[in-house]
Amino acid sequence: MTAATSGSWTRRALLALLILVVLAPAFGAASGAVGYAEPLENAAERTGASDAAVPIVSGPLQDYSVPGLGAPAGTLVSAAVGTGLTLAVALGAGRLLER
Amino acid sequence: MHIPDGFLDPWVAGLLWLCAGAAIGIAVRRARGELGDERTPLLGVVAAGIFAAQLLNWPIPGGTSAHFVGGAFAGILLGPSLGVLAMTAVVTIQALVFGDGGIVALGGNLFAVAVVDVWVGYAAFRGLRRVHGAGAAFVAGWAGITASALAVGVGVGLSSAFAYELGTTVSIMVGGHAVLGLVEGGITAAVYGYVADARPDLVLGRGGDSPSPEVGV
Repeated sequence: MTAATSGSWTRRALLALLILVVLAPAFGAASGAVGYAEPLENAAERTGASDAAVPIVSGPLQDYSVPGLGAPAGTLVSAAVGTGLTLAVALGAGRLLER
Repeated sequence: MHIPDGFLDPWVAGLLWLCAGAAIGIAVRRARGELGDERTPLLGVVAAGIFAAQLLNWPIPGGTSAHFVGGAFAGILLGPSLGVLAMTAVVTIQALVFGDGGIVALGGNLFAVAVVDVWVGYAAFRGLRRVHGAGAAFVAGWAGITASALAVGVGVGLSSAFAYELGTTVSIMVGGHAVLGLVEGGITAAVYGYVADARPDLVLGRGGDSPSPEVGV
């Protein structure tokens, strides 16, 4: 594996990440408009557990929104921050474990 | 299918933390021999890609939604050890930064998404890839997510919030995700097909057992 081919796949991969991030607000708006539930929520509703869900702590970007920003912009920022952070954490952990 | 806090009884949450912790510990030990100049960037890119892809919620008529979960895909591309690490990064960041999944319940979410989905998907792919590569990836995506839903269904079904209605929780979780799993399988097969075409050497388990001799089960 030469450095050149390695560089070309990482560049393409980063471009793919960017595309996914840019798409996130559209999907967020679409599913919000439809109103949806996952099977876990359906199971909770059926067994009376829905009210049991109590967040203990809330994240700095709770529910992929940014305080003070509207939905599309907040989702976009959340997607960018989360994707970048995941890349950094996974790469960092990988580099640490290499030694 | 991230479990929020309040859904799991303390002993269930504790047990799932223990199982997830053990599996992640093993993954960390094994990963040491697998990482390198090619694999480490791939670990980062796959983890970040799965985080971003999970944000793309596809609304499905009938009031449900599906998004790509990606544990099986991570297992196929990275192998089980690095796959577990990639998904651990994704699930932990979702919980800590975005409140997606609880903190007490994080062990359960790690177990379901970062351990069961990865390992079941990897095992299914490994067992079937000689028959048909993309077909094996499809089955891996489907089986991984369905097994993951079973783990969550059992966990909440043994908890008081769900009135210990194990039969109900398991059937809704497994039934629901067995259908949504067809989407997961389709995306897993499509992305696998693309990567296998463009860079077959990046797929663990194709053309011999990856660059590292320690990899494999």
